[in-house]
Amino acid sequence: MTTLAVIDWQSLITRDMIIPALRVALLLGIGLPAVIITAALVGRATAKRLSAQSAMLARKAVLYFGIIVIFVAVFQQTGYKLTALIGAAGIAGIAIGFASQTSLSNIISGIFLISEKPFQVGDIIKVGETKGTILSIDLLSVKLRTFDNQFVRMPNETLIKEKVTNITRFPIRRVDLNIGVAYKEDPKKVRDVLLDIADKNSNCLDEPEPLFRFVNFGDSALEFLFAVWCVKSDYLKLSTEMMLEIKERFDAEGIEIPFPHRTLYTGSATGPLPIRLVDSQDKQISKSESSQL
Amino acid sequence: MHPELYNQHKVEPEQYLSAQIGPLELWIRHTGDEFHVAVKRNAHSENVIETSHPEPVKDTPDACLSWSRWVVGQNFDTMQLLPVMPDRPVVVRPATPVSIPTGNEALFFVAVPIWVDISVFGPAKVTLLQAPSVVLSDTWFGDPMTGELCYSMRTRARRKVSDSPVRPHRVLCPVLIRNTTTEQLDVERFCVHIQNLTVYAGQSRLWTNEVRISFRGENETSQVKYVESAPEYEHIDRLLSNPRAPQKKTLLQRSFSTFRLFGGEGE
Repeated sequence: MTTLAVIDWQSLITRDMIIPALRVALLLGIGLPAVIITAALVGRATAKRLSAQSAMLARKAVLYFGIIVIFVAVFQQTGYKLTALIGAAGIAGIAIGFASQTSLSNIISGIFLISEKPFQVGDIIKVGETKGTILSIDLLSVKLRTFDNQFVRMPNETLIKEKVTNITRFPIRRVDLNIGVAYKEDPKKVRDVLLDIADKNSNCLDEPEPLFRFVNFGDSALEFLFAVWCVKSDYLKLSTEMMLEIKERFDAEGIEIPFPHRTLYTGSATGPLPIRLVDSQDKQISKSESSQL
Repeated sequence: MHPELYNQHKVEPEQYLSAQIGPLELWIRHTGDEFHVAVKRNAHSENVIETSHPEPVKDTPDACLSWSRWVVGQNFDTMQLLPVMPDRPVVVRPATPVSIPTGNEALFFVAVPIWVDISVFGPAKVTLLQAPSVVLSDTWFGDPMTGELCYSMRTRARRKVSDSPVRPHRVLCPVLIRNTTTEQLDVERFCVHIQNLTVYAGQSRLWTNEVRISFRGENETSQVKYVESAPEYEHIDRLLSNPRAPQKKTLLQRSFSTFRLFGGEGE
């Protein structure tokens, strides 16, 4: 206690120390908020002219560059030699690089993704089993929001390696409907009914024209592909509407949608399979017979 | 055309007004600081030509009507209906394809279903709703990557005004197509950016200003000129509504498309 009391603080804090300290305080107190505000302004200004992804990149570039400049200036004010720091950072960088190969791979993949632009913020993509809307494309990962409102972080490396489907890249989409009708139905009538349904639905685009294709003589049904086009935002609505309208019209027109069924026969050598109708009395008899056996 | 249909009308508090423009029936109610609007569209009777200007109805409208509400504030007691052009271009497909030889031109009268703008007036004008008289089917004009969403219209592409029936919910748009190429132009479909057109009230029907399209070659942009004055095929009483999207007098737009989407399931 006595030792502290005798320390001459005024002799320790010299004028040479106060001025750099004030400069550091100014740099951190004014410079950092200024950089954050500038980055936000750049983000806002570029949002109108560039895509959401490019605006985000511009904002982050300004922010990170500004922060680096301020910290370099702070180090200079505090008397640290930057050459030594950079040298140390280089050695540390090699060490960290070996230790974080995955992260570096993600960063490089991220740079490729940003330059190649296979998708942008707001697009709906499908990667493997995951489907969702892109929230952000960052240096290490892409963030998605799935349709059941889950957050998915997908490493950039995965996106470079895997097949990525951008569902909303183009403005229109095709709704494919696989339809089966009973063998007794007239395929031409089915085609006319389907085309009429598409014609009457205002969300179904007249052009490109709907596609009707006789796909196969299936096990239980004549199988068709009926494909109609819509604006990408109407995809779910149109696919549901078409299914409902097809069922309704097929019922009205008497067109049977068959369920899978199987016909058993014993071949031409024998007659039809013998069938014996069994009533409840017979059942009791047969039970008693079987019990005696 | 009903003379008072597109005038301003007073709406008393707690009063129902009803109007009809062809297949489109409208109900408007003013209560407190709110306006309520119900729209009923006769989808299967496009040929309905009955028209009635907004007038009070004694009976409460059908309970199955679907109403929308707007809180506009006090001192709004006047409403007006106005015909406006649809909000997207239309792709006109003549029922029978028409060919125009080199150097020739052809004038077509395209009858486009109007949208009805319902506005109320007080300290300011408030647009409540714009309702299509006929819901047109969507279509895509151009290729699937860079084309544009339009409405689809199958038409007889009539050449004479007298051949075109007078319908209260349709506006007649004169389109002059000029073939300036050295090849014959087969008009299977053409795109008209009707949002750029003005609506006029003629003596018997609604009109737009004339559109002149110069075909300059397959897959080339056409020179499109929107004539600024009213059409001269009938006496024009007054201008009813300005273009949704005012454009330059002359511009280059893609108006003809021969794009076909090939392929099937996966091809």
